[in-house]
Amino acid sequence: MISRRDFTRTIGLGTVALGIAPGSIFARQSTSPVPQVKDPKYRTWSEDALREARRLGCTYADIRFTFNRSNGVAVRNGQITSSGNIGFGRFGDEETFGFGVRVIHSGVWGFASSPVVTPAEIRRIVGMATEVARASAMAKKFDVRLAPVKAYDTFWQTPIKVDPWSIPLEDKVAELVAVTEIMQKAEGVFMATAAVNFNYEWKCLATTEGSFIEQVFYYTAASMTATARRDGQVKSRTYNPGTETRGWEFFTEKDMRGHAERVAAEAVEHAMAKPVGTGLKDLILMPSHSALTIHEIVAHPTELDRIAGYEANYAGTSFITLKDVGRLRYGSKLMTVYADRTHPGGASTVGYDDDGVEAQRWPLVREGVLVGLQTNRETAHYAGETSSRGCTFANHWRNYPFLRMPNVQMEAGPAGSPTVEQMIADVKDGVLVDGQGSFSIDQQRYNGQFAGDAFWEIKNGQKTRMVTDFTYNAITTDFFANLDAVGPPETWEHHGMGGDAKGQPVQSNRPSHGSSPMLLRRIMVGTAYS
Amino acid sequence: MAYSRDEVKAITDKVLNMCKADAVEVRFSGGERSATRFANSSITANLIEHDQEVQITVYYGRRTATASTHQFDDASLKRTIESVQALAGRKPENPEVMPLVKPPQQYAEVDAALPSAVSFGPAERAQMVKISTDICEKKGVLGAGYIPKFDWVEATANSEGLFTYFHYADASFILTCRTPDQTGSGWAGTTGVKDIRNIDAEMLTTVAADKALKSAKPRAIEPGNYTVILEPRPAARYLSLMLGSLNARAAEEGRSFMSGKERGSTRLGEKVFGDNFTLRSEIGDPVLRQSPIGQDGLPAKSVTWVEKGVVKNLFYDRYWAQRQKKEPTATSPGMSLVMEGGTATIDEMIRSTKRGLLVSFFWYIRPVDQMTLLNTGMTRDGLFLIENGEIVGPVQNFRWNESPAVSFNNISMLGRPVPMHTGEAYDNPGTALVPPMKLEDFTMTSISPAV
Repeated sequence: MISRRDFTRTIGLGTVALGIAPGSIFARQSTSPVPQVKDPKYRTWSEDALREARRLGCTYADIRFTFNRSNGVAVRNGQITSSGNIGFGRFGDEETFGFGVRVIHSGVWGFASSPVVTPAEIRRIVGMATEVARASAMAKKFDVRLAPVKAYDTFWQTPIKVDPWSIPLEDKVAELVAVTEIMQKAEGVFMATAAVNFNYEWKCLATTEGSFIEQVFYYTAASMTATARRDGQVKSRTYNPGTETRGWEFFTEKDMRGHAERVAAEAVEHAMAKPVGTGLKDLILMPSHSALTIHEIVAHPTELDRIAGYEANYAGTSFITLKDVGRLRYGSKLMTVYADRTHPGGASTVGYDDDGVEAQRWPLVREGVLVGLQTNRETAHYAGETSSRGCTFANHWRNYPFLRMPNVQMEAGPAGSPTVEQMIADVKDGVLVDGQGSFSIDQQRYNGQFAGDAFWEIKNGQKTRMVTDFTYNAITTDFFANLDAVGPPETWEHHGMGGDAKGQPVQSNRPSHGSSPMLLRRIMVGTAYS
Repeated sequence: MAYSRDEVKAITDKVLNMCKADAVEVRFSGGERSATRFANSSITANLIEHDQEVQITVYYGRRTATASTHQFDDASLKRTIESVQALAGRKPENPEVMPLVKPPQQYAEVDAALPSAVSFGPAERAQMVKISTDICEKKGVLGAGYIPKFDWVEATANSEGLFTYFHYADASFILTCRTPDQTGSGWAGTTGVKDIRNIDAEMLTTVAADKALKSAKPRAIEPGNYTVILEPRPAARYLSLMLGSLNARAAEEGRSFMSGKERGSTRLGEKVFGDNFTLRSEIGDPVLRQSPIGQDGLPAKSVTWVEKGVVKNLFYDRYWAQRQKKEPTATSPGMSLVMEGGTATIDEMIRSTKRGLLVSFFWYIRPVDQMTLLNTGMTRDGLFLIENGEIVGPVQNFRWNESPAVSFNNISMLGRPVPMHTGEAYDNPGTALVPPMKLEDFTMTSISPAV
């Protein structure tokens, strides 16, 4: 046990005695760093930074201030275990504030960032970013080309109903403890976890194109898992509403308590389930599952920076070539996909991207044919386009912005399309897949192997029993060519992803992917276990 | 410019003094993370990032909370401390809270920040890119690469008087070359290098470019079980897949490959892998030069995890060790990791192979079944068919489904260990000494024409 004592009395008031030297890191710190929305000093500091960049000969510059506050609670078997990225046994909050400066000098990018937000440090970092660009010029083969953009002077905010920080900690803890207690009541469940995370972000972008854009975002995420053991087999079941740009209302609407008993029961059933075996089967993919499939084999291959080779060393390229736009048959005629940074609640929904381009919605696949790509100012010219689709994003003030995917959504079928029940009735030998599990895709996004969270056998038009050891293989265009039904609009859901890694240094973003339930015919399953 | 020991101690002392709690722990991290990227044989990003953070944990008996801030001015520290104190006071008691580690502690001396790495700047990185892309141009391939550099400090201080400080600097050079017709791709790289003179951009580019040219226009062959020769990068990724199973708690709770047949038991002491599989953490290794500071500030000590296939140690965190009446393991399985190798060269492995595959890279590895360590992944950036002791040509990439629990019983040859990152990305510490390895009966389940 830790003994109670007044720690300040033991060590003494050391700050005075430390003798902090002038010029040390303390001397460079900012004061009152929590930025207030619409504080005019950021406009002044931005103007000074951009003026300095121009003076140094930069042909383009932007400065992006970001303040981020995160808070999370995770509970295991009724006991708080962790918070956000803070490790096991800990609990709390994180705040981070800083700025990044991006310039083009000598035709190439330079970027530098700092957590010390003062006018002097801003000038220093502008100079550093410029020097980085200058030094890079020796290794350029071509100049950066930016598509034109309008100038905006504006403010945009995620619409929320309830600020997550207005909810008492005790209420958050009580909700999650209650959820795990319900799950623990099921015989066979030996571990029950539940978590909720909140994120607030203030971002202020100023560019030499004349934009000054201030934005505020809220993100809320929740999930719960029961793990059960039966006859030596350990399996889990998860209810994962995902992430949305919404407030506390997202957590309450998703009704974690209401799902707890079902999740626990299905975890036990999963632990008793028999392997599905190997072979060609029809699949019904629920939106909670297909979000990940859409993410991996529709959203990623339509990123133009991958197609242009920018990610060849890490995330990979794409099976799509520039010549494929307007020609490639991606799937059956039932497949229509939109990119959308305006979708209310979408995890990748913004007012403006980090190039200062207004959020928009545009088609990627129409009736099975590839018709569009994800672009930003830097890459639009590769596709012969004269404006950006607004896909530039950095996940942190510290990191440089680059092309990240928007929300990518498969359109629902028209009214009257088959419901899940009608799809089941139309399947002789198949599997219904819910939730997300193991996933792996090649570097061009053509050969994917997906599992899920829970699987039910369908025999002769009936959903019979839960099965396990399930994976399916998806050769992207063959897979969607077998798309035989898409559910009606009232069955459409979107699911926010917790994180998507790309870039070097790696950055994680949060896209959403939506669809109605889908029926795909004759897909190979179970090979991972065969 | 890295944070000096005195500067960091001034920050942590300041926080410790400002906190009012039964006990306090302060973790500092900060420094410079820089990187240069290139693609299509032209530089695409060059950057210098600075960051600093204090993570403050306060304890009131068994109530505890953590908060962190990246601003060190008085107002920010005060707000963060008031916030964490309020949070901890409102939190239920946590039975897993452990007392702070007390000084004095003795850590191995590790000189991990050599001047050549500390001063490695954007102009030097751009010069490496120039050397590399000039070779790419001569050979007629397109180069895409990444040169990350860290100059970083990690420190811990607590209200018992413990203070630890670790400064490290390293860099990597990672490169993918592709043929202009997009039918060939080759990878080469070196990671976690403490002395920049050991990065040979010219040699690495030559290897990757030649591999791209040789891998062009691969043919499809049937999936099935193959003898595979894993070069150090895929070997390092594959090795990483079994590290999580060394956690004692997961094993004893029945959630792990290392769980025993009886409830609460483990496979400690069992021969789980082949005779030629030995895995250690070697704190103070002269090549790796990684942190000697372990769990919660305990001194990391060298640990043999697996010796000649027998599981010798599992990782016990401090709470679980106390609960199970065991000694805590200060060293986590990823620290200063060394897999014992052999003397075979890759050429010798090829010559001894009747039919098999030479694998340059593994990609997108994900667990399929954690209880058996079954994983899936792809080959990438150069896959070559071997027949009768010779490489006969490039073949299309495979998806594999396999478990290191099986493969590490099927190691037929090992080469000399080299430094190689075990993670999917290269942005955090994670370089280990890993040998190239020849594995029998490796399961390739489907092909992909992706290059």
